[in-house]
Amino acid sequence: MPRYSQLYDAILKGDLKTAVSTTQEALAKGADPENLVAESMVPAMDEVGRRFEANEYFVPELMIAARAMKGALEILRPLLTQKGAKPTGRIVIGTVKGDLHDIGKNLVASMLEGGGFEVIDLGINVSPQQFVEAVKRTNAEMVGLSALLTTTMPSMRTIVQAFKDAGLRDRVKIMIGGAPITQEYANEIGADAFGENARTAVTLARQLMGVC
Amino acid sequence: MKLKLIACEVFYRELCAAIARSVNQVDLEFLPKGLHDIGKVGMLARLQEAVSRVDESKYAAILLGYGFCNYGLAGLRAGTIPLVIPRAHDCITLFLGSKERYLDYFNDHPGVYFQTSGWIERGKRLEEFSQLSITRKSGMDATYEELVEKYGEDNAKFLYAELCNHTRNYGQITFIEMGVEPGGQFEKQAQEAAAERGWKFEKVAGDLSLIQRLVDGRWDERDFLVVPAGWRVAVTYGDDLIKAEEVKA
Repeated sequence: MPRYSQLYDAILKGDLKTAVSTTQEALAKGADPENLVAESMVPAMDEVGRRFEANEYFVPELMIAARAMKGALEILRPLLTQKGAKPTGRIVIGTVKGDLHDIGKNLVASMLEGGGFEVIDLGINVSPQQFVEAVKRTNAEMVGLSALLTTTMPSMRTIVQAFKDAGLRDRVKIMIGGAPITQEYANEIGADAFGENARTAVTLARQLMGVC
Repeated sequence: MKLKLIACEVFYRELCAAIARSVNQVDLEFLPKGLHDIGKVGMLARLQEAVSRVDESKYAAILLGYGFCNYGLAGLRAGTIPLVIPRAHDCITLFLGSKERYLDYFNDHPGVYFQTSGWIERGKRLEEFSQLSITRKSGMDATYEELVEKYGEDNAKFLYAELCNHTRNYGQITFIEMGVEPGGQFEKQAQEAAAERGWKFEKVAGDLSLIQRLVDGRWDERDFLVVPAGWRVAVTYGDDLIKAEEVKA
């Protein structure tokens, strides 16, 4: 049973208002922000992921849970930064050049945040150079690439190459996903992992960071 | 040469025009538009079923009037006669005449929604597909009212904006005029659709040559894949998109 069960329940239900108010109340009562994340938010998002996998939750439920989680996280983030709390990992994420689809990418970003990762979201239509620059700037350990179209997925190969050219390939793990992406394609272009959905993206990111 | 063509109805007018001019006798079967919406497994099953219905003793080859359509053709098996498939990401390659032209245009215009006569007049309200579609299964085509009922007003507003507005990052309709349209009725409809959304509108000239070569039997390796009898279609992940793969017993 999570320690802050109201926050846990509010995230599961996708109730943003309650998630925010219970977080504020818990802080007012002296709760440790890191504990709130570790003991309510992460377990709640893990449960959301489990329900998604078991076909009890679908994309809308995932999205509203992530929204509630983010509402609470926004309150906690400045406090976590102040305390110097370390995220599980830092990941630069974006939809590749030429592709403007971001529903899947946003969902993965939210689930990763809910999983304790710091996410630097570069948005849509992101060039290989922008990915490389963002990793240099933020020292992220991971990169997440999204594409919805077979016309834009070749850009992933270019991005992997751009990291090699920049001498950064050994420093970052590259995870890819999106409707046309397969494990075979990930192998072919030399990506480190392929996430079939937002839930597996979190599991894989944790594995890549060596935290589970 | 006598050929069988199984095609998406999005090419209805273009294929009828090309077949009328073809040196070959081409028997044509259209499948409903929207197979790509039901996912690769469902699409492949429908196409394989259509291929298996053909009386192969009558034809030299079966042509597919399809693009790669998000892996919808991956695994498609030739029976006792070859399958011929254009190397195309999707139907827009066939409308623009080459995948290179498509990619050039696409790279310069990432937020474009393409329209042709087939896109405008075909496949509306395909209830069967909409039930099976990815968008339905993921809740992307829910109405605002449905969302309110299920998730409350606050979350409904959020979901409607973030999940159900599939084209929110798009900003242009490009009408591809193929030269087979009667007057300007389709162009006008595309123009109106752009205006309704507050998007830019552009008209570009289509190119029937790839479609014509398909039905004429001019299947050079660069633009077409010929899958030998008993082989199947496989993915390459390269510029050639697809290859033939021997089916191992």
